[in-house]
Amino acid sequence: MAADPLPAQLAALLAACARRDQAALARLYELTSAKLFGVALRIVRREDWAEDVLQECYLRIWNNAQDYRAGLAAPMTWMTSIVRNRCLDWLRRPKFEVPDADGSVAEATASDRPGPLAELERSKEAAGIAHCLQGLDAKQRQAIMLAFYDGLSHAELASHLREPLGTVKTWVRRGLIRLKTCLEAA
Amino acid sequence: MNFRNKPELHERLAAEYALGTLRGAARRRFERWMREDAALAMAVARWETRLSPMAGAVQPVPPPAHVWRRIRERAQPAGPSQGLWNSVGFWRNLGLAASSMAAALLVAPLLISPQAPQATQTPAALSPAGTIVASYLAILSDAKTQKPVLVVSAGRKSDQLWFRTLDPAIQVAGKSLELWALPRSGAPKSLGLVAGGEGKLTLVAAADESLGEIPALAVSLEPAGGSPTGAPTGPVLYSGPCVKYW
Repeated sequence: MAADPLPAQLAALLAACARRDQAALARLYELTSAKLFGVALRIVRREDWAEDVLQECYLRIWNNAQDYRAGLAAPMTWMTSIVRNRCLDWLRRPKFEVPDADGSVAEATASDRPGPLAELERSKEAAGIAHCLQGLDAKQRQAIMLAFYDGLSHAELASHLREPLGTVKTWVRRGLIRLKTCLEAA
Repeated sequence: MNFRNKPELHERLAAEYALGTLRGAARRRFERWMREDAALAMAVARWETRLSPMAGAVQPVPPPAHVWRRIRERAQPAGPSQGLWNSVGFWRNLGLAASSMAAALLVAPLLISPQAPQATQTPAALSPAGTIVASYLAILSDAKTQKPVLVVSAGRKSDQLWFRTLDPAIQVAGKSLELWALPRSGAPKSLGLVAGGEGKLTLVAAADESLGEIPALAVSLEPAGGSPTGAPTGPVLYSGPCVKYW
């Protein structure tokens, strides 16, 4: 796989999108769509839905490119947040079928296997968070990773992990506090 | 809840918003706070920055080619209809082209003016009380037919927004019409649902605050009960400039 695009390159493409430069959008899509499609697919779990989300999000990026503030977040962070937020909205829609009703996705991802963490550690950018996730209690880590990667709500976490809602909320809250402390110490 | 005086709660909600566990109505409410509170928006951006490297571990999956084709068709360089809400071009068009026409249409009947003797619209329509106080006024027109469809007004100091449809048949069965304030930059803000006839909506603050920086209003077609996301999800049916009449 090609190396991750540089933030400065993406920021320049976003600036060009703000000037309605379609070639810049094409290039931005080429550089980032596989990553963002992976993120969306993981959360909404249906290819056609992930396609709709991706389409909406690139149009949103195109139409809001002038709102991107380099000082606030890196381009990929900004775009990833747009996609994750849209996915979470998507899951709220009425008539949404319960994702992963048999729990197989949660099982595959909830186990404390090294997969995603090992993957994280390979990326220089993610080394800090991988290290800090490792430092959490297993339950806290599991809850945070399920929430981030699979878009599970507190209630869904509780049902998947077969733990009371209050317990799960506490894991998430304490896990986030410890993550922040650890990342700031690094 | 006095949210702003509780920095710990502030931080916790920002973290849970970025992680995604803040959901439903609480998420919508938090998004409104974020739009009004730069410090909160920054706290969220910091959390998104902390967490987003986690997305780096997700296996990239190249999307099928038709996704890009659809994006390319809709990402038009000049004011695309689908990208209308947030496009700079849309604002410019509204601010320039529409305002001269619609503002004239709007104000002419109100002024007892020799320049507008031909005015036929009834001024009473704009004020249920029969008098015209310093107000924000908007006439929203159908994008396709250019016909004015909805009149909206709110006294400067009032938090009551009054509307009246010029076409009583605008309601669509099983759907809602949602009225939006379109700021110069940033996301549209919902003002509430409108229906055929006459009605009132309560603004979150007096009109001077809610509409003072709003150059235009628009109505979108939404699922019954209004947009599920807090942002317009359906097509823009009507729009028009919001002018200060005083």
